[in-house]
Amino acid sequence: MFNPSAKLKVDPRDGKLAMAHFFVAFTALAIGGLAGLLQTLVRSGKFELPAGIGYYQILTVHGVVLGLVLTTFFIMGFQLAATSKTSGALTNKQRIAGWIGFWLMTAGTVLAAVMILLNEATVLYTFYAPLQAHALYYIGLTLVIVGSWIDGAAIIMKYAEWRRKNPGQPSPLLTFMSLVNTMMWIVATIGVASTVLFQLLPWSLGFVETVNIGVSRTLFWYFGHPLVYFWLLPAYMAWYVVIPKVIGGKIFSDSLARLSFILFLLFSIPVGFHHQLMEPGIDPAWKFLQVILTFLVVIPSLMTAFSLFATFESFGRSKGATGLFGWVKKLPWGDARFVVPFIGMVAFIPAGAGGIVNASHQMNQVVHNTIWVTGHFHLTVATSVMLTFFGISYWLIPHLTGRTLTKAMNKLGIIQAVIWSIGMTFMSGAMHAVGLLGAPRRSSYSEYGGAAQAAEWIPYQIAQAIGGSILFIGIILMIYIFINLAFFAPKGEQEFPVGEAADEAEKAPMVFENWKLWLGITVVLILFAYTIPFIDLIQNAPPGAKGYKLW
Amino acid sequence: MAKTELSRKTKTEIEDSSSLKGTLASVFLLGFFLIITWVGVYLLFISRF
Repeated sequence: MFNPSAKLKVDPRDGKLAMAHFFVAFTALAIGGLAGLLQTLVRSGKFELPAGIGYYQILTVHGVVLGLVLTTFFIMGFQLAATSKTSGALTNKQRIAGWIGFWLMTAGTVLAAVMILLNEATVLYTFYAPLQAHALYYIGLTLVIVGSWIDGAAIIMKYAEWRRKNPGQPSPLLTFMSLVNTMMWIVATIGVASTVLFQLLPWSLGFVETVNIGVSRTLFWYFGHPLVYFWLLPAYMAWYVVIPKVIGGKIFSDSLARLSFILFLLFSIPVGFHHQLMEPGIDPAWKFLQVILTFLVVIPSLMTAFSLFATFESFGRSKGATGLFGWVKKLPWGDARFVVPFIGMVAFIPAGAGGIVNASHQMNQVVHNTIWVTGHFHLTVATSVMLTFFGISYWLIPHLTGRTLTKAMNKLGIIQAVIWSIGMTFMSGAMHAVGLLGAPRRSSYSEYGGAAQAAEWIPYQIAQAIGGSILFIGIILMIYIFINLAFFAPKGEQEFPVGEAADEAEKAPMVFENWKLWLGITVVLILFAYTIPFIDLIQNAPPGAKGYKLW
Repeated sequence: MAKTELSRKTKTEIEDSSSLKGTLASVFLLGFFLIITWVGVYLLFISRF
């Protein structure tokens, strides 16, 4: 990846922009993590919330603040830094776009957070119409999304500028990946923006009386599944490009990495029905089509797994490892920048397996709306993605603040990840197990009128509370490390690791940069998967629903 | 005798440093894990519905 415009350090002005994103992200981690702890304690049946605070209010805080705020801010900050590092400093115009995006997102976050805290928007993380929030909550979330588009525009402009200045050259890999994720995000968020602007907001303001629930849920999940890939792809960026450099090896294949990202762009979006497999109003044939497309998006993840194993084995063998698994011992097990994301990779194996179960059409009946699903996404986003983001922070935060990761902080980082793993094994393991026994998700503690089946769930709920408490210790440690790296670590130079490909001599095929082609196929797939069932949902709609405020 | 020496097969195991057999084994293990998980829940599905 020869790249003349790449500098050793991210431009300090871009660093400041990225850091602004990280401050919001880690504040969100603290608030959302506390809400999560409270949820597990309430569900153990041993504690009650004080001052009449509702379980569903803190559930909403947890979901929105971690699932939307922490992730989006961290990802935007990381992608801006990665683009600036590999394609050169942002121009003033690009940086201003970044700052406008950041402030819009922050203003929207504050607005939405205030409405949740005032108990005016206890509609859970996925909005759940006919639950009806205060209009300002929907306006706040709209600002977050519009802000993220403007933020993303900075990355798109930088990419376009790089291509103009380097005709005929494939773009730097990290820039390419940031661009794919940004474009996927923009295409996906059109769905959630549509339901909020055209359905929920007018309904909440009283301009219309009722809302079409099927349409609103379909538009939400059109966004909701690519959302999880929007979380995952930055982790894959670190796994593909950063980790090989950290261990001292090479990227197995630059072209393979690009191809897998293109496949994510194509197949992440037309798959939302696998979240609606139990819903009426959608023909099973269309559900089945989207199930097939969902299984196609497994392929780039399997490519990623292969590529990572190959990177690790090639590195180990270059250090003299022999035998089938001798290379495992050669990996740098004392380096938090490697170990923490590595635990995330391992967690993605059961996480991915669970995801395949969830998406298997009729089999979804076994797990639908059970806490198995909650266990599933606490492995994907809250372990694989989060531990990778923590691993990124250990070099990126000091890189941007002109400090270094000390040995003590490196060790604490590894301890943090071990604590996280133990807590998550308890919590997510118990959620998976009790989910298979039928325990519902999203619901507060209840003995269900003394039902025998519900009594079976209680020991698992206590295990979840133990896991949740251990995880909260992990969050406190992470916040401590973040503050140390941002303000107190010794001044110095911390490397921004960018790997080189083993197949460096082979230029990545230029077809990967043909966005008319890839966005064209993306749009065709979306239209194919959604047009007819969507018309169905509108034409054969049941009477619309009035708004409910049940909290 | 030289002849016997020639006919004796000397087995020298030189492992190719570019070998990816560990990767092959790993992806197979991963595949088996996915299949076992899926079949496990499938059996649960069959027994319940």
